[in-house]
Amino acid sequence: MKAFAYVNPSNESDALAALRSGGIVRPLGGGQDLLARLKDYLDEPDRLVSVKGALNREAAATGDGGLRIGAAMRLFEVAEHPEILKRYPALAEAASTVGSPQIRHQGTVGGNLNQRPRCWYFRQEEFVCFKKGGNRCFAADGENQYHSIFGNDGPSKIVHPSSLAVPLVAYGARFRLASASGEREVAAADYFTLPSMQTVQKENVLADDELLTHVILPAPGNVRSGHYEVRFKESRDWPMAFATVVLAMNGPSIDSARVVLGAVAPVPWRAEDAERVLRGRLLDDAAADVAGEAAVRGAKPLAQNAYKIRITRTAVKRAVLAAAGRSV
Amino acid sequence: MQQPTPQPTPQPTENATKYAWTVPPDRTRVIGTSVPRVDGPDKVSGRAKYTYDIARPGMLHARAVRSPHPHARIVSIDFSAAKAAPGVRGVLTWKDPGTEVMYQGDVVAAVAADTEPQARDAARLVRVEYEVLPFFSSEAAAMQPDAPVVFPNGNTQAGQTQETGDLAAGFAAAAHTLEATYSTHVITHVCLESHCSVCEWNGDQLTAWVSTQGVHASKQQIAGALKIDQANVRVICQYMGGGFGSKVTADAPIIIPARMSKDLGAPVKMVLDRKEEHLDSGNRPSAFARVRAGVSADGMLTAFDGVTWGTGGAGQGANFPLPYIYQFPNRRRAHTNVYINTGLQRPMRAPGHPQGCFVTEMLLDELADLVGLDPLELRLKNLPPTAPDAMWAEYYRMGAKQFGWDRRHPTGDRNPGPIKTGMGVSANQWGGGGRAGAAHVRIQPDGSVLVQCGSQDLGTGTRTLLPVIAGETLGAPLDAIRAEIGDSNLPFAGVSGGSTATPGIAPAIRIASGRARDALFARVASALDAAPEELAAGDGRIFVKAAPERSLAWRAACKLLGQEPITADGQWEPGFSSVNTSGVQFAEVTVDTETGIVKVTRILAIQDCGLVLDRLLAESQVYGGVIGSLNFALFEDRTLDPRTGVMLNPNMEHYLLAGMTDVPQIDVVLMDMPERGVIGIGEPPTVSTASAIANAVRNALGVPIRSLPLHPHRVLAAIDAHTNSGGGPA
Ligand SMILES: Cc1cc2nc3c(=O)[nH]c(=O)nc-3n(C[C@H](O)[C@H](O)[C@H](O)COP(=O)(O)OP(=O)(O)OC[C@H]3O[C@@H](n4cnc5c(N)ncnc54)[C@H](O)[C@@H]3O)c2cc1C
Ligand code: SF4
Repeated sequence: MKAFAYVNPSNESDALAALRSGGIVRPLGGGQDLLARLKDYLDEPDRLVSVKGALNREAAATGDGGLRIGAAMRLFEVAEHPEILKRYPALAEAASTVGSPQIRHQGTVGGNLNQRPRCWYFRQEEFVCFKKGGNRCFAADGENQYHSIFGNDGPSKIVHPSSLAVPLVAYGARFRLASASGEREVAAADYFTLPSMQTVQKENVLADDELLTHVILPAPGNVRSGHYEVRFKESRDWPMAFATVVLAMNGPSIDSARVVLGAVAPVPWRAEDAERVLRGRLLDDAAADVAGEAAVRGAKPLAQNAYKIRITRTAVKRAVLAAAGRSV
Repeated sequence: MQQPTPQPTPQPTENATKYAWTVPPDRTRVIGTSVPRVDGPDKVSGRAKYTYDIARPGMLHARAVRSPHPHARIVSIDFSAAKAAPGVRGVLTWKDPGTEVMYQGDVVAAVAADTEPQARDAARLVRVEYEVLPFFSSEAAAMQPDAPVVFPNGNTQAGQTQETGDLAAGFAAAAHTLEATYSTHVITHVCLESHCSVCEWNGDQLTAWVSTQGVHASKQQIAGALKIDQANVRVICQYMGGGFGSKVTADAPIIIPARMSKDLGAPVKMVLDRKEEHLDSGNRPSAFARVRAGVSADGMLTAFDGVTWGTGGAGQGANFPLPYIYQFPNRRRAHTNVYINTGLQRPMRAPGHPQGCFVTEMLLDELADLVGLDPLELRLKNLPPTAPDAMWAEYYRMGAKQFGWDRRHPTGDRNPGPIKTGMGVSANQWGGGGRAGAAHVRIQPDGSVLVQCGSQDLGTGTRTLLPVIAGETLGAPLDAIRAEIGDSNLPFAGVSGGSTATPGIAPAIRIASGRARDALFARVASALDAAPEELAAGDGRIFVKAAPERSLAWRAACKLLGQEPITADGQWEPGFSSVNTSGVQFAEVTVDTETGIVKVTRILAIQDCGLVLDRLLAESQVYGGVIGSLNFALFEDRTLDPRTGVMLNPNMEHYLLAGMTDVPQIDVVLMDMPERGVIGIGEPPTVSTASAIANAVRNALGVPIRSLPLHPHRVLAAIDAHTNSGGGPA
């Protein structure tokens, strides 16, 4: 592993200044992703800037009834936070199943949202693929059973690894990004980017000298939300497909819906067809079925992952059932 | 590697009577009870020093340079950049230019440096020029008739066809025949402690701390590899994080540090990382079986015709026993080893048996459905005759009652809803036994006892057996007994493998302890006004058999020894141990048909191993075996990229392993057979869980299950294939 300098700033502006200190600099959250990549010689930064002590670690109410979560908040804290549990339960649930208790205690919100892909070609240094500056995607015609079924006509076939990103898009969250020259806010849905030849080495719009400092959730309104992860192993593993649905209710029927899919595309994937079919329906078993069917319309499986269509349909169906307060 | 055919057992000696194990109606005091591991507290508190923890003054760290290619010729090796790197003390060429590397991870060279990270970084600076050669990343590719010659002696090697009975008559007698292909996949050992060693020379004497399943075997192999006297090598392994068969050879991770340590005049340590473990520390071969089998209308197996193949990697065999346990009077079997460019197989817990068991047990459930019999009934009809080492029928009946087999539904859960449940069974056998063991016992005048045996504890609990056996025999309190193992300077013992360690050493410890006890009786008898033969020992006292109130406490008795301790030796002798075990397992699962996810809800394991020495240790072998086999069934799968031959999951992330929450309720029933003496239990429990689980999945879904692992996408594919083929009987 290449030797690196370590900076441990105690506030946001020092952290942001350190990002501009020259050479390749990476922010370090809980290190659950970054340190593993360094040990595997997948990334060789000159400097690590720890942001755990520099960024905010709280969840605070906003003036308009929303919630503002600091990027240094640990995943276990997200899973246990009373306000998050009450008002954004899908987010708490997503945080509660990440990895293992150890990973959830180390891992931060900022690190979770900015972690790099888990594609097994990406993670083995033998494969220099598009994402690593190479000239091919090994998964495209290789072992792609865990890869994307949506949004996969670009150069990379990854699925976005973040569990938190999916409910955050579903709840309409925004991210505060800051650099030494200023700050901006981006909708979660616009933060993550589909790979193009120009952008394939990144998964989002964050600039090298920027940090994601806060997640800002709008007031939830009269919604019911449901979250379902299809997981093979119960711990230390990744969901094979998952879904968050957020339903704005009008009495017993659905006014409007957000259906977002995880582990199926290079970004958290809005299933707009499913959102459309749910609009105006009663929240019942039939709604779950039609939403599941609609959600996978347009899926384009690779050679080995057609099975993901079925489990994605299942995830959506069960997420809608969960929103209705029912289990499978 | 198959287990060796047992040699004829020599006649028991007089010691076999004199020191015979206690059998009912006599009672044991320690043996057969649940004695916790003596080193448990050291292990959980971190005091136990594993090879990984050994640090010697001035110690250097070695790191291998490994081939990134599955097959290549080494053109040149340039060490100049590596030698100039910080901390580097030396380099070593393991394979000369001009020779070939046969798999990803094959060792080419090594670098030693002051620190492990320095060695790691420097190893990457060694510039090896390769001429890349054709390779195989699958059995199918190697078996193509027009495949290039990758292995000089042939890409495949066909064995002799074995035939018994009259195959044609057997099929003629069949009311139903079935043709199907079954397969199991390659998995690796995944020892929690990776392969590692520390080598240190003192003049011409080498001390090697090695994570090994055989300190004595290692010593002999190291001496052979270095061409030095065995007497000049000492191998130490005090604590170990598993081996499962992968730590029985002294190979590169031991020989490299031994040679570099000699060259560089400093101790050298070498520890493999997880990726190296997966690539180059052994694996369980794959198994494929194209089977045609016949069964009569009343459920008697009539014929078995099997063509099998499998790979043990770049030049190693992959044979397995087939058909397994059940009796096919007419049978034929032709096996071919297929070589592909991956790391070499090594024995892995019950080598060959899980594969043969899977093929046979899956076939049996399919045949049972063709006849319309309960699968348990079909099994009962076709088992070998019941014998002390073949108790399957009895265990199946017992297990059926305990497990609630009568609640099993016929093939295919008809309940509505996506979650289906099912049950399956499977049997196992293993030879076990072992003959290599010597022990030394010393009773000190202060009452402390030293028991020495050059065996080793892989994590199975071997160390605890020393006080258990010596404590039973001497009557000494367990906390007075100190056990020494894991050092080749101690009396000889064989490798801990193939369920041979305990049956190898237990007789030796028993005899040495018996002799020591008799010597003690001789020296204290007068104090009890009795003849030595009238004395007995137990519960921390020496007493007169006929009048137990005439007794001496253990320490008081030992005090009478004055200054001269008692020493006694023992060696394996016939009459204390035997071979061959049998067992059965039941599994219950749920399968989610909308996701393909299988969850195991219950396992029942009924297992015999002769005399149970320590109930906790024996049960823990069964738990471990069951969990390992569950991993084989559901999770583990070495995955290669077909186009590059590079392993995609050399880690513990994409290479799946059960976590705590994935492990079901496991009920263990140990069948104690003290009259048979000690038999090992390391292998048999890991043979049959996978096939019991797979048959339970088949029972739940009503679709054929013919290959492992049962990853969700493969379960869904099995459901789809069945639906698309018209969905006949599973
Ligand atoms: C076996 C295993 C299973 C896992 N399962 C899951 C799972 O189910 N779901 C899931 O979501 N994750 C899973 N993970 C990944 C884990 O959740 C993430 O690695 C963790 O949340 C990352 O948080 P961290 O703070 O440790 O990130 P770090 O490793 O510290 O950082 C990750 C990346 O984000 C960058 N970064 C960190 N903080 C910021 C910031 N504030 N602004 C901008 N960039 C930043 C870093 O530079 C780095 O590139 C799993 C990991 C393992 C090993
Ligand atoms: S999917 Fe993306 S990360 Fe994986 S090999 Fe293709 S380009 Fe690389």
